[in-house]
Amino acid sequence: MPKCTINGKEVEVKEGTSIIEAMQVSGDRIAHYCWHPGLSVAGVCRLCVVEIEGNPRVQIACNTMVTEGMKINNTSEKVKDTVKWGLDFHLINHPLDCPICDQAGECGLQDQYMEYGKYDPEMAEAKVKKHKVVDLGPTVVLDSERCILCSRCVRFTEEVSKTNELGLFNRGDRTEIGTHDGMPLDNKYSLNTVDICPVGALTSKDFRFRQRVWYLKDGDSVCNGCSTGCNIKVYYNKEGLFRIKPVYNEQVNGHWMCDSGRNAYKFVNREARLLKGIARGTEMAPGAAAKSASEVLKSTSGDAVALVLTAQYTVEEYEAIIKTFVEEFKTKKVFFWINNKETFDSFDGLLSRGDKNPNTKGLLKVMEKYGISATWTDLSAGLANGSIKTVVVAGPENQAVFPEYNEKLKELSKAQNLIWMQAGKNEALTALTGNVWIIPMKTFVEKDGTFINHSGLEQKIKKVTNVVSEALTVTEAALLLSGKNLAMPMMAPFMPTNQRPDQVELEARKKNEFVFRRGSL
Amino acid sequence: MSVMQNNSEKSKWYLPGVLGGLSVTMKHMVGNLLNRKKMMTLNYPEQMNDYSPRFKGNHVLTVKKDGSLRCTACMLCATNCPAECIKIVAAEHNDPAVEKFPIAYEIDILRCVFCGFCEEACPVDAIRLGPEWQTPALNGGQFIYDINHLAYRPNLKGGIQTHVDDEERHKQGI
Repeated sequence: MPKCTINGKEVEVKEGTSIIEAMQVSGDRIAHYCWHPGLSVAGVCRLCVVEIEGNPRVQIACNTMVTEGMKINNTSEKVKDTVKWGLDFHLINHPLDCPICDQAGECGLQDQYMEYGKYDPEMAEAKVKKHKVVDLGPTVVLDSERCILCSRCVRFTEEVSKTNELGLFNRGDRTEIGTHDGMPLDNKYSLNTVDICPVGALTSKDFRFRQRVWYLKDGDSVCNGCSTGCNIKVYYNKEGLFRIKPVYNEQVNGHWMCDSGRNAYKFVNREARLLKGIARGTEMAPGAAAKSASEVLKSTSGDAVALVLTAQYTVEEYEAIIKTFVEEFKTKKVFFWINNKETFDSFDGLLSRGDKNPNTKGLLKVMEKYGISATWTDLSAGLANGSIKTVVVAGPENQAVFPEYNEKLKELSKAQNLIWMQAGKNEALTALTGNVWIIPMKTFVEKDGTFINHSGLEQKIKKVTNVVSEALTVTEAALLLSGKNLAMPMMAPFMPTNQRPDQVELEARKKNEFVFRRGSL
Repeated sequence: MSVMQNNSEKSKWYLPGVLGGLSVTMKHMVGNLLNRKKMMTLNYPEQMNDYSPRFKGNHVLTVKKDGSLRCTACMLCATNCPAECIKIVAAEHNDPAVEKFPIAYEIDILRCVFCGFCEEACPVDAIRLGPEWQTPALNGGQFIYDINHLAYRPNLKGGIQTHVDDEERHKQGI
């Protein structure tokens, strides 16, 4: 365990740690583009320079290991001067098209320019023009002019996705990133290259030009695309969600996430959502629809009631609704709607799993707790002979991974009364007539809860934002279905503490947080 | 913003200033009473007062030489706008040299405070505050200026060209 001194602070690190990693430990800031903790060391950007005592020249921190008693400094004038000139080299051919560039606002080059910028260029030569708007593949667009050749994306395709589509071509200042001939950047992890690009050279076709990043707020969550449960950040504003990016978690996903997980924001947005509840063909508020469905549930007794669950909800919600069914409705007819049992165990070796539900383990755990052993054949038989009259379904949130949705819907709609809870719109569902209740549900970004991933790791998710505020969680729906009322948590009113006792009280109100945040720019 | 304060002894003598101002008013009043033919009046709206060229009136979106919009939809004006009256929707342009352009650019002129921050924030000289100031309308909808009005309204005669041209900038290697 070598000890070193970084900017006067003593830090103890593991054997074989590079200086840049030691600086992450000590919390010192250091400029870096090409170094990425999840990739190999390339040492091409030459910006992470430090001064080591006893060494006449500055060294790069990413490729120098810490040794016992090393005295490292990156705040001296010498280092600052080196970074400044290094940055000048990076900016020689880099266009200043920040108004067009999607990375503006979260660009490393912009940040460094503000800190160390050499504001007067000393180049007499014109910039080298490279290719703009190069279509690399189905998901990514390249702007070679903005590229600073850190080679992070190239190393990503070599080391992580192991697909080797990208390469550096030509020499000197004519070097460009490109795909090998006839090999578009088309793999299941391609959008990670956009994440790790320190400038705006690689941009995602999906997010491109849709929103400036400084209008977005972010919140931590867990991806519900598959049973891996990657840790994510969702970026949203009052118009809805715009993108999803991975968050580092060594236990689960490391630095990466797959492209299909990044689409999870689409079914959360308002245009894809059910907004109004439907009770026997009449539109009403979701809560009212659930309340009206409770009357039917009251009139049908015991084993005539069945519950169908998909593995897309949180443990707490399963707990609440199964408890209601077992204790209030006295039925143990709870069925697990499995979407693709054959491929559940498949795994692509990196992150993506065949089980496209975030919480299969959690559902099985709760079902086991209540001693539920019913199988789908029981349900089919019950529906066929008419012994099951009322079916409550917690339908899929991510409908894309339920290919046999319509068949199952047809089968379940054989029941006399069908109470369907779901977040997203579906034409086949809203076309149903007769005794059908449709209750809009909240999605994973709109509620607190727990997901249990494939390895049994429990991950808490927190509410990020409200997209459809009137929608219900399964917990709330379970209360309403059993005929109870919702207990609304009383928020502490927004009120000054120094109010006179005789003053007329204003109605508690919440300030518009988007307006608040504007000042922080 | 820095606030300047003049704390000198002299600044406490306000009365001479007040009286000086009053004397100008009195001079005009007496002059107008005695010589009504030469009274300074304007028969508005037939006669109009020309404001200084620095006057900040209604917005103009500038155009390039080919007549297309100069704006790149970078949203800096919308970000900087204290009244939050600018709304822009960006889209990808077919021409790779242009790359990004606004498909909608709306200013809610009733909210606008004509502070000129949008003009200052614009990195490409795409928005300016023009000299127009008489802009009545019959209903609220007409106070939301869209691209068509901002860049190509009749009295702009085909649009105002920017002095910053993309192609020229590109040739110079900027």
